[in-house]
Amino acid sequence: MSLAILRSTFSAAGRRAVLQPQVGAKALACRTIHTTQPAKEEIPTTSTTSATTPITQIAKLGSNQLSLETPQNKAEYVLSTMDKIANWARQGSMWPMTFGLACCAVEMMHMAAARYDQDRLGVVFRASPRQSDIMIVAGTLTNKMAPALRTVYDQMPEPRWVISMGSCANGGGYYHYSYSVVRGCDRVVPVDIYVPGCPPTAEALLYGMLQLQRKMRRNRKATLWYRK
Amino acid sequence: MVSLARTIRSIRRVGLKEWWHQMQYIGDAKSGTFKGKDQFGNRYFENMNPEEEIPGRHRWVDFAQHDYNATQVPPEWHAWLSHIRKDAPQEDAVVQRFTPPWKAPYIENLTGTRGAYKPYNTTAPKINAWEPKVAPRV
Repeated sequence: MSLAILRSTFSAAGRRAVLQPQVGAKALACRTIHTTQPAKEEIPTTSTTSATTPITQIAKLGSNQLSLETPQNKAEYVLSTMDKIANWARQGSMWPMTFGLACCAVEMMHMAAARYDQDRLGVVFRASPRQSDIMIVAGTLTNKMAPALRTVYDQMPEPRWVISMGSCANGGGYYHYSYSVVRGCDRVVPVDIYVPGCPPTAEALLYGMLQLQRKMRRNRKATLWYRK
Repeated sequence: MVSLARTIRSIRRVGLKEWWHQMQYIGDAKSGTFKGKDQFGNRYFENMNPEEEIPGRHRWVDFAQHDYNATQVPPEWHAWLSHIRKDAPQEDAVVQRFTPPWKAPYIENLTGTRGAYKPYNTTAPKINAWEPKVAPRV
């Protein structure tokens, strides 16, 4: 069917070219720059609830990420598989550095407690920045604490991620207009996941951890290196 | 409780293929009555027998997508899964009554994709960079 459509458009273009009168140099100046009809690309629907083509797939269409995730040759196939193994290993043992600064820290503790039980996901709090790969900034970041936060972040080995937890860490929150508070911890460290709430529930933070896993799963470092 | 007898019983009920699928996605061999399917194709199950499923694990979802997450459960089914409602949405008269035909379809969380919500502002900025203008000399 698509072939038939293609053929008909080609023949139509040919007919148009034949039927067009020969134009002089004067008319040439105002001719459109397109010599062929622009291809009428099927614009996909932007929203769907169907089971076969989920909305996340539509959101990915034509993106760099989708291109990275589809291997184009054997080397890329191997490399993207190795990427996936690395991602699997990383997402299975996320060790957050506890940076409890205020009331959010209590909810962070709840995530570690029996009900939400972060251990089942391989999330284990680690007191040393040198042995952790995620930092959960839980609470108000004050100007006085900011250099310490940055130092701890710098001590963490690569690859490292930061989860900003709660309104205060996201953008100052309640203390946005205070003279002594950093208006969002993303002014000091690069943040991967923002968890909204004041304070966010332990469930919300755990969902944030799952979103970070999703982000880790998208990583295609070796493929990117190969394509460069 | 997870036991060999329970695993074998579940395999005999659901079949080898379904069991393999369950081990990949749920991580446990489960069997129960099929309660319904939502817009995303997720399937919902229930097993009320406390000898077969621990109470608390007696309702579960089998996600349709490979890349699944909790936001793929629509609110009506979420209410059923977490025991806010007793009956499945299609059997629940209250849920049916409060689901108007003009209700927009539920969409899963698009964080991290290009469909993610990006806030924007249409008001004029309150803080502007200083652009010095030289007054003409008289």
